[in-house]
Amino acid sequence: MTANVASAEPAIELRGLRKVYTKGKKATVAVDGLELLVQRGEVFGLLGPNGAGKTTTVEVCEGLTVPDAGLVRVLGRQWGNGVDQEIRERIGVCLQETRFHEKETVRETLALFASFYARGRSVDQVMALVSLQEKADARQSSLSGGQRQRLSVATALLGDPEILFLDEPTTGLDPQSRRQLWEVVRAFRAGGGTVVLTTHYMDEAHQLCDRIAIVDHGRIIALGTPAELIRSLGAEHFVDIDVESFEEKLTGDELRALPGVQACEMKTARASLTVDSVHRVLPAVLQLLEERGIRMVGLATRHATLEDVFVHLTGRHLREDSKP
Amino acid sequence: MRLRIVLAVAKTTFREFWRSPEAVFWTYGFPILMAVVLGFAFRPRELPPVPVAVVAGEQAESTAAMLRRHGRFDVEVLGASEADRALARGRVALLLKSRDGEPVLRADPTRPEAEVARLLVERALRDERDGPGVPIASEVEDRPGARYIDFLIPGLVGLNLLGAGMWGVGFNLVQMRTQNLLRRLFVTPMARSEFLLGYLLGRFVLVVPEAAAIVLFGVLVWGVPLRGSVPAMVLLVVVGGFAFSGLGCLLATRPRTIEGIAGLMNAVQLPMWLLGGTFFSNERLEGVVRWAAELMPLTHLNRGLRDVMLEPGGVVDVAWVLAALGAFAFVAFAVAMRLFRWT
Repeated sequence: MTANVASAEPAIELRGLRKVYTKGKKATVAVDGLELLVQRGEVFGLLGPNGAGKTTTVEVCEGLTVPDAGLVRVLGRQWGNGVDQEIRERIGVCLQETRFHEKETVRETLALFASFYARGRSVDQVMALVSLQEKADARQSSLSGGQRQRLSVATALLGDPEILFLDEPTTGLDPQSRRQLWEVVRAFRAGGGTVVLTTHYMDEAHQLCDRIAIVDHGRIIALGTPAELIRSLGAEHFVDIDVESFEEKLTGDELRALPGVQACEMKTARASLTVDSVHRVLPAVLQLLEERGIRMVGLATRHATLEDVFVHLTGRHLREDSKP
Repeated sequence: MRLRIVLAVAKTTFREFWRSPEAVFWTYGFPILMAVVLGFAFRPRELPPVPVAVVAGEQAESTAAMLRRHGRFDVEVLGASEADRALARGRVALLLKSRDGEPVLRADPTRPEAEVARLLVERALRDERDGPGVPIASEVEDRPGARYIDFLIPGLVGLNLLGAGMWGVGFNLVQMRTQNLLRRLFVTPMARSEFLLGYLLGRFVLVVPEAAAIVLFGVLVWGVPLRGSVPAMVLLVVVGGFAFSGLGCLLATRPRTIEGIAGLMNAVQLPMWLLGGTFFSNERLEGVVRWAAELMPLTHLNRGLRDVMLEPGGVVDVAWVLAALGAFAFVAFAVAMRLFRWT
């Protein structure tokens, strides 16, 4: 393998990034001293709730927002140093909720964006990448949400970019459309591209990203592969036991004392356990319930998710509507 | 400046307009509709009968009969209070009463139709008493070049250019901003100047045909004259179009919402509709209003268009107008470029 000097540089380097929005007398700190290195060839996810500063962070990388402080390097270049156009030739951007010209067809929209790049892929190649060939002559106004989003990604792929930025690419899409978009992202990565995406869907981050930065209040509060982040909880499984009633026949401390149990939260008819392995803990729990004469009415186990990591770190949920 | 980008943007801009039936109607159909309606409403003809009330009383019926014989009046005999109300509501232009056997006319002199009514009734009463005076022949001015429609058509061309700059350029830019499309375009290697040039080109392909459609309609249907030079006319349309496009860009620099730009455009357009000399001559305004009218680009464009259509004006005759509009366009674009909110 020949070492490429340019690719030795990280795709993105952010140091001490800070951005404050002032509206009237009220100042909102969107990004608060954020540090980040995105390597070439990885799919990097910024995961966090709405308003965490994810979009501001990617918009700074895209050259859309000028930070108040900090260093930004994209492909080793800095915005505003006379190389803006060079950077723009080498990145592809998919913004949130872009509506293209309503009366233009897919092919016409792509032809417009293709004209902006000195080199790159053909309109037909890009339509094939996002499986929009059949809609080539359909107007923007007749496309579904998923098709529009794929068109948006297609416009970002026309310049054959080295980095692809996707800001909330699947928000509001149905499950099938989301999976289709994930395939596009995976194919792009397989071709050696770097992807930076923001999302507030933990499953998307888990499925798609090589590494994830969990962002909250404009800072990165955790960073790693999805597996690393979940392992950092110290427990990877949750067991929920529903009974008729514990009625002081069994205490939380007793459950907590069982080997393999890390935490236990107990209510009158439910015990929620955090455990390192289900197969080790469950027989002991079932035996204990039987000894005390407590009748079980329900049992559920699940893997820990990035959502649990976020809750563990912040005490809040990623999305307000996902509270149990 | 990369031509392929400029042309691609121009093509998209043009198609986006051409594929919107409603935009095409408001651009081509509406001015022509206005020319039809206003041309008919204000075509040269005899004045309609003047509505007059005779207040009931002695000799009221005979006076009314005399006025009716005269042929120029629409006469009613009304009771005193009923007559007052008819005058207040404008249903009649004038009241004719009798005091001590002498006729008395009552009317509001600030209403032009009242003044006409007063003169006509006075003359009818005098003719009745003294017999007809010196016969005076009168002619209706209906020669091409002097009718209202001849005044209106150049004004509609000017107004159409104003609309193209406002709605076609300004409004669409803000719409693209609200759609996040301006930001999306901005993160590509395309330069702002390339975008703007292509965008204006896409709009300007249509500006000359738009103006031509109105002029042609006026010439063919109403016999409006085109006495001056056609190149001067084309120059006026193009430079005027640039001036209003610049104004449209200027208004579009900041607003983030459709409501914002619509309000701003109305605030700028309404005074020009009223005072810009399209529907009514603004040559005889006075004071502050006069100054306001003189500051409007539409006033000067309309003046130039009339010089070329109604008089045998050439490029030299409208040079000053072209220079003023050109300077306006330059300043508007320069300021707009500095303030424009792309992201």
